[in-house]
Amino acid sequence: MKRHLVGYAFISPWLIGFAVFTAVPFVISIYLSFTRYNVVTEPVWVGAVNYRTLLAHDPLFWKAMGITLKYAAIAVPLGIFTGVALALLLNLEIRGIAIYRTIFYLPSIVPVVATSVVFLWILNPQIGLVNGILRSVDIIGPNWLGSEDWAFTSLVLMGLWGVGGSMIIYLAGLKDIPYTLYEAAMIDGANAWHRMRHITLPMLTPVIFFNLVMGVISAFQYFTQAYVIMDATSGPNDSTLFYALHLFNRAWRYLDMGYASAMAWILFVLVMTVTLTIFRSHRRWVHYGN
Amino acid sequence: MAIDQTSARAGRTLLVLGILAFVGLVISFALPKPAERLYPERIPVRFWHMWTAEWKAVVDDIADRFNKSQDKYEVIALSIPPSGGETKFVLAVAGGDPPDVMAQWNPVIPSWVDSGLLQPLDEMMPPAQWRQLHSDMYPIARKIGMYKDHLYGVTVGLDLWACYYRPDDLRAAGVPDDRLPPTLEELFALGARLDRFDDHKNLTHLGFLPEGYLHTTPLFGNGFYDWESGKLTIYTPDNLRALQTLADAYQRLGFDNVSRFQAGIDQSSFSAGWPFISGHYSICVDGQWRVEQLAQYAPNLQYKTAPLPAPTGGRPLASFAGGNFMIIPKGARCPAGAWEFVKFWSGIENPERAAELYTKGGWLPLMPAITNAPAYQAYLKKYPQFKTFVDMLPSENIQTTPPVPYTIYLTDRVSVCGDLAMRGLQTCEEALRGLEKEIAQEQARRKEFGYAD
Repeated sequence: MKRHLVGYAFISPWLIGFAVFTAVPFVISIYLSFTRYNVVTEPVWVGAVNYRTLLAHDPLFWKAMGITLKYAAIAVPLGIFTGVALALLLNLEIRGIAIYRTIFYLPSIVPVVATSVVFLWILNPQIGLVNGILRSVDIIGPNWLGSEDWAFTSLVLMGLWGVGGSMIIYLAGLKDIPYTLYEAAMIDGANAWHRMRHITLPMLTPVIFFNLVMGVISAFQYFTQAYVIMDATSGPNDSTLFYALHLFNRAWRYLDMGYASAMAWILFVLVMTVTLTIFRSHRRWVHYGN
Repeated sequence: MAIDQTSARAGRTLLVLGILAFVGLVISFALPKPAERLYPERIPVRFWHMWTAEWKAVVDDIADRFNKSQDKYEVIALSIPPSGGETKFVLAVAGGDPPDVMAQWNPVIPSWVDSGLLQPLDEMMPPAQWRQLHSDMYPIARKIGMYKDHLYGVTVGLDLWACYYRPDDLRAAGVPDDRLPPTLEELFALGARLDRFDDHKNLTHLGFLPEGYLHTTPLFGNGFYDWESGKLTIYTPDNLRALQTLADAYQRLGFDNVSRFQAGIDQSSFSAGWPFISGHYSICVDGQWRVEQLAQYAPNLQYKTAPLPAPTGGRPLASFAGGNFMIIPKGARCPAGAWEFVKFWSGIENPERAAELYTKGGWLPLMPAITNAPAYQAYLKKYPQFKTFVDMLPSENIQTTPPVPYTIYLTDRVSVCGDLAMRGLQTCEEALRGLEKEIAQEQARRKEFGYAD
């Protein structure tokens, strides 16, 4: 018992921080979601009005939800595909590979805000790097961030900039695959594609599973890049009104914290549902090598 | 043996961490500390504002002048980042530790008053003084600072939009007397003559294009608010006409063409990069603060200013205005000191002295007594282009954001409405009807929550 107490004492700074800054607000936000609350005055109980209004009378809620779901559906698989592909390339034993790995990993540790500001320039339709390159081959590049058709796509593509973070985990996963499996496969006559299809990818599925769960959760909370790039607006014709941005606006710009709490809980339920669904499915496609 | 090696490694790691911690401590002590108080014996008045760079120096100077003008209070000015300014303020009030006074420029008064964040400033002065001030203030200062018959914000610098234009360009387009045409329609026609394109029909120089939808509506009518009835006016013939005018202007040039052109130049530049200085615009609509910037960054540039001409049947001397205004939060520890500072800067009691402060930042005055003060008149003589803005101030046709508690939501959606029409994604009729529906939904939502309005 005493040993347990000593252990808890050592982790008490974290426990206290978690309780005060996460657990208690988390629980209180359930109550707030049933109130009218502007942060300053006392919350007023309004029952299920927040939820009813959100689901039945707030077209922006559904628009934001749709944009966020679309982002998760596109950006997460794209990030996994790119991350795995990069990891496979960077797993090759060639000269200077450590430098390449570092180069591809570096962007993921650059702060998101700094990256976003840089991309504002890179994607500038007139003086930006991307359209400049396209212009050199006589292609008129799109109005990346200024057009309804491209603003969302730009943010999805921008997400690939930080793919080095997941790439390094895939790389660790690749290094963990026993070489004996490849040797056995080669003796059996398996070509490169067969080895990839039947050894590499199955053995990598635990890492893909991890990155899928983390990617889905962060996709549903996507905020900073859209906020910075679109200067806190919802983009051309609300095309970048992500759920978290709508929530932020309601909470801090319109001082509607009760409503925003209800939005947060709907998001929480949605993320939990999707995550649990992924977890339930993992027995069918994740291989642990045993 | 292995345990010994592990212990030795752990010891070395701890030593390195200890050295790093020590170095960090030394560096933290070496870093610059917040300035010591100059008048520690006085009552502190904590003043938050969102000005930075050259503007911060002006504001610090004003605080310094106030501190030297009396011996009871010390104003401690703190510049907070504009992007999170509102959130910081709200949290500070909610947390019970707000500043004593804050300078704001966003249309926050209605929602903050309804949230119980602000003190009515008219109650801080004798009734006779308030009556006098109410009658003396420029109409637009009343519109910006008042809500529900009380004064919550005292403007210490109005921001007003008008035309800047290059006479050389006008002469090149065949306008002989350097004057803007008398109607908005003619101004658009002149602007079209001044537009320039490259071989690929990309816009390279813009003749004239007004500011956004919210800024354009006052030229056509009341805009989005009827100040007499106190009601929102969304779908009106005037607002529809304003939107159609803007949409036509963008469609003529091509929205994408304008968007690309503007993306290539620094629209918001507060320096020599302003497109009017760099020669990308012949006629543009901007605020009065550009006059001083032009004097600083392009002293030899020949330019003039004028009010935007009204459209046929529209409103003369109409424009949009915002304001830098002072608010005192509920829970302020020293509201009396805050109020003294507000009076000092705004010129409520001493317009002659305050006039000089207004000229420091190139701000428009609160009331005519400041305009008529020698210091301000000298400023107008120095910058004759500034006079255009000052002369417009008595106009009742200058509008600001509607004083409703959901102002920020409203302005967000007005912006989207204008965007839809200007991009040609919806007809003006559809876009404005859509806006009206959105606002009605928001009003219904608020009603269901039990809000009064």
